[in-house]
Amino acid sequence: MRPQWRKYLGVRAPRYTSYPSALRFDGQTTSADYRKRLSEVGLYEPLSLYIHIPFCRRMCWYCGCNMRVENDYSRALRYVEALNEEIALVGRALAGAGRPLSVHFGGGTPNYLKTDEIAAILEAVELSLGLTDSTRLSIELDPRLIADGDIESLGSLGFSRMSLGVQDFDPAVQAAINRIQSFDLIDSAVGEMRRIGVDDISFDLLYGLPLQTLDTFEESLTKTVALAPDRVAVFGYAHLPAALPRQRLLDESLLPADELRADLADLADRMLVEAGYRRIGFDHYAKPDNPLARAEMDGRLRRNFQGFTDDPADTTLGFGASAISQVGGLYAQNAKSLADYYDCIRSFDLATARGLILSPREQTIGRIIREILCRSKADIAPLMAALAPKEAAAVRGRLDALEADGVISTQGDTVALAPEARALARVVAMALDPDEKSGAPEAGRAFARAV
Amino acid sequence: MSERLATSEKQCMAPERAKSCDLCDVRGSSICADLGPREFTHVEKTMARRKISRNKTLMVEGEPNDALYIVVDGSFRLLKVLEDGRRQVTGFLFKGDFVGVRSTDESAYTAEALEDSSVCIFPHRYLDEIAIDAPGVKDRLIARGQTEYHKAQDHIVLLGKKTAEERVLSFLQLISKTIGADDGPDRRHVPLPMPRQDIADYLGLRLETLSRTLASLKQDGRILELARHFVVLAA
Repeated sequence: MRPQWRKYLGVRAPRYTSYPSALRFDGQTTSADYRKRLSEVGLYEPLSLYIHIPFCRRMCWYCGCNMRVENDYSRALRYVEALNEEIALVGRALAGAGRPLSVHFGGGTPNYLKTDEIAAILEAVELSLGLTDSTRLSIELDPRLIADGDIESLGSLGFSRMSLGVQDFDPAVQAAINRIQSFDLIDSAVGEMRRIGVDDISFDLLYGLPLQTLDTFEESLTKTVALAPDRVAVFGYAHLPAALPRQRLLDESLLPADELRADLADLADRMLVEAGYRRIGFDHYAKPDNPLARAEMDGRLRRNFQGFTDDPADTTLGFGASAISQVGGLYAQNAKSLADYYDCIRSFDLATARGLILSPREQTIGRIIREILCRSKADIAPLMAALAPKEAAAVRGRLDALEADGVISTQGDTVALAPEARALARVVAMALDPDEKSGAPEAGRAFARAV
Repeated sequence: MSERLATSEKQCMAPERAKSCDLCDVRGSSICADLGPREFTHVEKTMARRKISRNKTLMVEGEPNDALYIVVDGSFRLLKVLEDGRRQVTGFLFKGDFVGVRSTDESAYTAEALEDSSVCIFPHRYLDEIAIDAPGVKDRLIARGQTEYHKAQDHIVLLGKKTAEERVLSFLQLISKTIGADDGPDRRHVPLPMPRQDIADYLGLRLETLSRTLASLKQDGRILELARHFVVLAA
């Protein structure tokens, strides 16, 4: 990283998996809004479904997800029942419209559920929303909970994309984050996936974890490359103990400094690119023949709540506690607590608790920010036109500063991210965001570091 | 566009041109039924019949189409390509059904023959000419033109059904109404010219669910016979 870019290391920036960020959702948006938008979905409109399973067997101290440690499986059964009821409610609101292109199970830990429950959820989707053999099914897996035969059962249910939460292979780092999983465990999971023909295996890695050094991370990356997943997502750990009490369990004094964080990210980038992976957005890597890489090459890369994706659907329907739906310029987020979620479903209501109806201005800003993140380039004229003169001047000022540092180049109204500055994409996105008043390190404590 | 049309006219008008509409199987059930004798004389003159072999397309999504087609023999599937390149079966056409009610620069779907089939072609520009001499022809065509819209309506109703059994049975009954035939007392023979995968896709079901549902309908006697290309329903 160039020396003049070091000052951006401490900048905290939203992840821009949505615009506006989910932190700006409010209680004005109701289930009636969501229901209305659902009723406007077109007959063959592509849908992307997200199913949230909030349970985990153990707590990982870095986790920022909506999850709970649960030891009583009957509670999971109850949740699945509510989930299937929610799927039916959404199906009734859609009344036959919409076609699911993909179903993604995320968490928490989706494989906290036994295969029978996952099959039951798929059946509910099939009967209420439609599910065909070509619908892409993907699932996030905790390698520690994969029992004999699980991968094969998931494969026969039609799951063709499997994502493993690897984080880091180093035993000391794993102990510091309370997620101990041996290399052999991951190795055998990958072997089993390959054996049954899963050709889209993804690893999640985290940098910025306690005790990580360039040496330990290099070792983890070497192991990753040896197992040859089809995709790797390399996320920076977001330490936000004020907002996420469980992160206080993690020994803050062991966290790598900003400089080291950046070096770890650089190391991952270099090693994965050397191993033949293609850079996708600012934190994903994929083998060149992977659908994500092809989407990136064809300019079809998108960004959704899971990160960068090749899923072409404009409409995302989220199911389960805290899940977010995006339909027709509306974000609708379900109740976060299980109790509130169950209350809604029990009264046969959709579980919307918060959300946002996007104004045309917000839609424009969101579109330009996604352009920058997905294509490293955007024509910002529509964004500038949507801003008040004062805001536009502020955006212009921030862009000028970034250009002076060589982070971006501009030609007319087109802003292009410098190829080596890909890690700073979120800083550029924030410069375009009129709601982020400043890129100063002390701003926006609610967000994670940009790098 | 006129070149495409010219080719198709050449191909299909010559050999079958002489065939009289009087002999047409579907005349009573298709849009022609509404035409008066005078209009009919015009239509007969300008109409062309064309054979479409199995798997060949009648019209292609995204390409211009400037003719109205009536299926006189065989069957078609209607397909749409979804954003990610996958195909979605959006409906089926049987004898007497028609597509292309308005000329368009971009057809909304592809129509592909499920078996060797024939259609009557009515180029819209001829229909426009007829309309000068016989006002109202187009109106009547457009009035019946809702059929295309009805196909979408049928589909959304099927997709809105909440059990696989209901969905499959309603589908079979729909086909039965269009091309089914009584086959002895309380027996209704329903041809299924389309592959099972198309039916599953059309109904938003997995192939395995469709097979299981058909088997269970056979088990409880609502389907009397279950074969690859037909079923016999208990009437």
